[in-house]
Amino acid sequence: MSPAAHDAAQYSFAVEYDGPPLSFDLPRAVPISVDNIPVAAVVSQVPLSDALALPVVQPLLPPQLHHPLRTLGSEPRVSKLASETTVSPTSVIAFDHRASQSNVGELSGELSSSGAVLDDGKESVDFNELNQQDCASTESVLSLEYPSTRVSSLKAEDIDAKRPPVVTFDVDSDDDALNEEFDVEDTASRPVIKRAPLTKGKKGSCYRCFKGNRFTEKEVCLVCDAKYCGNCVLRAMGSMPEGRKCVTCIGFPIDECKRGSLGKCSRMLKRLLNELEVGQIMKAERFCDANQLPPECVCVNGQLLSYEELVTLQNCANPPKKLKPGNYWYDRASGLWGKEGQKPSKIISPHLNVGGPIQPDASNGNTQVFINGREITKVELRMLQLAGVPCAGNPHFWVNEDGSYREEGQRNTRGYIWGKAGTKLVCAFLSLPVPSKSSNSLGEQPSSLASRTIPDYLEHGIVQKLLLVGCSGSGTSTIFKQAKILYKSVPFSEDEHENIKLTIQSNVYAYLGILLEGRERYEDEILGNLRKRQSSVLDTAGTSSKLDDKTVYSIGPRLKAFSDWLLKTMVSGKLDAIFPAATREYAPLIEELWNDAAIKATYERRSELEMLPSVASYFLERAVKILRTDYEPSDLDILYAEGVTSSNGVACVEFSFPQSASEETIDTTDRHDLVRYQLIRVHARGLGENCKWLEMFEDVEMVIFCVSLSDYDQFSVDGNGCLTNKMILSRKFFETIVTHPTFEQMDFLLILNKFDLFEEKIEQVPLTKCEWFSDFQPIISRNRPNSNSNSINNNPSLGQLASHYIAVKFKRLYSSLTGRKLFVSPVKGLEPGSVDAALKYAKEILKWNEERPNFSLSEYSMYSTEASSFSH
Amino acid sequence: MSVTDLKDRHAAAADTVNNLRHRLKQKRLSLLDTDICEYAKSQGRAPVTFGPTDLVCCRTLQGHTGKVYSLDWTSEKSQIVSASQDGRLIVWNALTRQKIHAIKLPCAWVMTCAFSPTGQSVACGGLDSVCSIFNLNSPTDKDGNLPVSRMLSGHKGYVSSCQYVPDEDTHLITGSGDQTCVLWDITTGLKTSVFGGEFQSGHTADVLSISINGSNSRMFVSGSCDATARLWDTRVASRAVRTFHGHEGDVNAIKFFPDGNRFGTGSDDGTCRLFDIRTGHELQVYYRQHSDNDIPPVTSIAFSVSGRLLFAGYTNGDCYVWDTLLAKVVLDLGSLQDSHEDRISCLGLSADGSALCTGSWDTNLKIWAFGGHRRTT
Repeated sequence: MSPAAHDAAQYSFAVEYDGPPLSFDLPRAVPISVDNIPVAAVVSQVPLSDALALPVVQPLLPPQLHHPLRTLGSEPRVSKLASETTVSPTSVIAFDHRASQSNVGELSGELSSSGAVLDDGKESVDFNELNQQDCASTESVLSLEYPSTRVSSLKAEDIDAKRPPVVTFDVDSDDDALNEEFDVEDTASRPVIKRAPLTKGKKGSCYRCFKGNRFTEKEVCLVCDAKYCGNCVLRAMGSMPEGRKCVTCIGFPIDECKRGSLGKCSRMLKRLLNELEVGQIMKAERFCDANQLPPECVCVNGQLLSYEELVTLQNCANPPKKLKPGNYWYDRASGLWGKEGQKPSKIISPHLNVGGPIQPDASNGNTQVFINGREITKVELRMLQLAGVPCAGNPHFWVNEDGSYREEGQRNTRGYIWGKAGTKLVCAFLSLPVPSKSSNSLGEQPSSLASRTIPDYLEHGIVQKLLLVGCSGSGTSTIFKQAKILYKSVPFSEDEHENIKLTIQSNVYAYLGILLEGRERYEDEILGNLRKRQSSVLDTAGTSSKLDDKTVYSIGPRLKAFSDWLLKTMVSGKLDAIFPAATREYAPLIEELWNDAAIKATYERRSELEMLPSVASYFLERAVKILRTDYEPSDLDILYAEGVTSSNGVACVEFSFPQSASEETIDTTDRHDLVRYQLIRVHARGLGENCKWLEMFEDVEMVIFCVSLSDYDQFSVDGNGCLTNKMILSRKFFETIVTHPTFEQMDFLLILNKFDLFEEKIEQVPLTKCEWFSDFQPIISRNRPNSNSNSINNNPSLGQLASHYIAVKFKRLYSSLTGRKLFVSPVKGLEPGSVDAALKYAKEILKWNEERPNFSLSEYSMYSTEASSFSH
Repeated sequence: MSVTDLKDRHAAAADTVNNLRHRLKQKRLSLLDTDICEYAKSQGRAPVTFGPTDLVCCRTLQGHTGKVYSLDWTSEKSQIVSASQDGRLIVWNALTRQKIHAIKLPCAWVMTCAFSPTGQSVACGGLDSVCSIFNLNSPTDKDGNLPVSRMLSGHKGYVSSCQYVPDEDTHLITGSGDQTCVLWDITTGLKTSVFGGEFQSGHTADVLSISINGSNSRMFVSGSCDATARLWDTRVASRAVRTFHGHEGDVNAIKFFPDGNRFGTGSDDGTCRLFDIRTGHELQVYYRQHSDNDIPPVTSIAFSVSGRLLFAGYTNGDCYVWDTLLAKVVLDLGSLQDSHEDRISCLGLSADGSALCTGSWDTNLKIWAFGGHRRTT
């Protein structure tokens, strides 16, 4: 049943009158009878208006406002407007179509000639023929359509000529008028020109073929409300690039009262098109620009919204659902939201920077009780009373988003409005909003971006990729893990946690193995020395004393057996397979082992064990705790652990920077805070000059190169089997990456990692140990005590000086290779704040790059003083 | 024995090896009494000629949003699986251009993909060092994604290449950046054998490509960054049957000749070569001098069913069709109308040999087929 018929039913006599002619099926009878109605209708509305206050206002007010916009049905206008609008878009489209058709024709011709060669040539030929047929048919339709619309518009004019303009207005858009009366009444002044359908048939028939009655299924144009039957809809609406709109209506904003049906497919369309096509059309309908809510139609707290404000509003964690044009009020502190002059309808995200300040009479209350400066309605007062809020004496409340309330000017919270279970029931009963679960029950900050869902059309596209590379041991893995812990609400899944636990445990066994191996070596050394001495003693004295095998490094037979076994499994390389599983069995033994004096003595000499990584001491000191079966790795354990990030291949984590409170107040609409970042960590292995897969990362926005500062005195075996300083190896690697053709125009951020270790080390080992840094001559005024100065520049520590020096070394190298500027950030990988700062710095660099054209040169250099300060 | 002593002996040994290798090369050259080209000419073989419309692009498969890295045809139906940097595998119907499956991958950096012989499952591998198997018949999860039905993990480097053992859906061979090739049992997900790696006579650099002999599925060849190709017998994992030297750059692509006695290679040095597995000889070099001095590396190769034509894709977007006998370029697909706009990264011939599919970094796949009238001379 069409809405028009429904509305007609409200006029009691019209129903009686309308019924019989339909059964007689005399088409002419209807227009004639309708002709007479307008006079009657105006009259009949007056007596009706006694009951309803609005209809009286409506006919009186609109004439100036509505009439020029709506009376497209009047003859002179319609002929002019209709002809104009029909001619331009359709002719252009038809032309376009024809042009593309000819293209397709060419292509398909080629296809058929070539397709025949394929084994299934027949199939492909069929396909082509179909295609061509289809083309032909659509073409003929299009060529037909143009004259037909003209004809039909002429027809329409004919009909219009016979009847007064008011009639068409009433017949065709009375449902709209009524809808608007209730929905959009307050936006009557908005500057959107409403489009009327170009052609109209008799009531209920298809607008194109003029067949069918109001009971036949029809599709409605979202803009002009034209209705088409199943046979005509595809011809009238074409390929629907903006959803269900007549070809002539493409590009026009949709009728706001149809916003609700956006993206909701009708059965007819589903029948006519296949699922994929329908999906595409519905997607286009929802997301194309022309169909978005125009911001100037929404007014919040008496201020029309700007585009940014509307985006903020729609993309907040808890947006107002099904936002329609109109006037709204919004209480920023509590997130209450409602139509102007009405009670609140919803609680949305609070603290959005949208619209003006709230007015006391926003909800048109008359209770003299105020919430956040708004006089509340009776219903709300009733709710407050039921919720147990004392409302005697017309108090002024200050309500927060979590429902906590206090009286204005007082500091202590009096209670929580929605705290009691019953309150929610009351609210439901009074149809008042309650805070949604996601924002309240978890107690989350609404500003935490990590957890909020961004609509997918926003999510697409803006993922900025950061590639994290560095030599092995440079701490890329630590930074990666740190990023995960920093920005993910659940950094590691349960499985991952379990895996990490096992990795850490088997690592500890491996460390113990290295320790035991060292113990054996030390024992042998001492015994050897002893024997030598003894033999020399023997030679001189000639007395044979029984050799005392006991040294500091000897262990008992039980532990010895275990040690032998452990070393054997280590050599065979089966440690991973055996160990985590055997933990339960060996844990007590480990405790005994760890407490053994011999192991303690060996541990004292751990610096001599080259195999033992520096992190081992962290774990060995906790060995007993870690090797318990109920051990749960802490964040720090995970950061320290080796081999947690898959050492071969890539690992990536997607995150966005959470907004800090200060940033939020400055600009919430900043697009950059919505940007998601993907940190990709690749292993250095195989990342040589001839790397086959670095090209896969040409779409990254920035390369973060990691260098361990403390490497300057470390040596490692390079590809040719020579022992080389690790810093030099890092430099070599840096050179190959920087000059790799894939990264030609890429920005590089150099992370000088392990700054904490470096600061300690530099005091003992001079930086000049690495030949690259041989000209490092720090000028330190030793006579001034450190505590005197609070500024770094006044009296920098040796570590700071040295790291600046290294930074400059890399910067010079970089600019000599590329002619560009290198960004440098010293980092302590184990400190979350430090890694956070470095990644935020990376974000800022990307931001600058986007905005660089907007900055004048001087401004830009001012912004990057930190980076340029070390480039002398 | 001191370290310096050891080093000296190592150097001496390396010298000897090089010396022997050189002598072997000399010997081979002296034994090479004729080359294929001369012989074919003496037998009166006329060069293959193609008119400009003989091979035409008849389909363009659009749908990927990232660079296409790999493709594979089914052995029976005309389906293609392609892998792209957008993190998806797409299974296409090559005739209708329809997408039958679009599989979202857990790791977007995919380098290779393969269709199983029965066409029931596809395999892919990439930088995640895992070869993932997707059963095309398994139900999709709630997000509409096809779940991974088996993960073959164990490689310590990226998976650069994978191929199912012909006529078996249960075995698969992968080549990897960890310098090894692995034969997998898919049903158990375990390694059956590892070729190379810690063993002697394995590759000394990343394996980039593998190809299984179509007529004897126990033999396969691998091409590697160490500029060699190696022939392996799956029953003897301990050592390579033969090592083929000759290339001066990474061997990017390797493919068995249809008769199974030869194989072709494509390399970073810009050449394609043809080797004989029985004699170990290099039979032919396919190289075209470019006017400017840059040498575009070969990314991918394929043989026609008869073996007379060799298709080779180059990084500059060219795709030459070589006459394998006379070593002449018959046609350059890159110069034709509707050719790819970026480098050709992969190519493959359909099982019946009627169509060639090329995948490119311009995100498209194109299907080429014979478009002229076959002259019966």
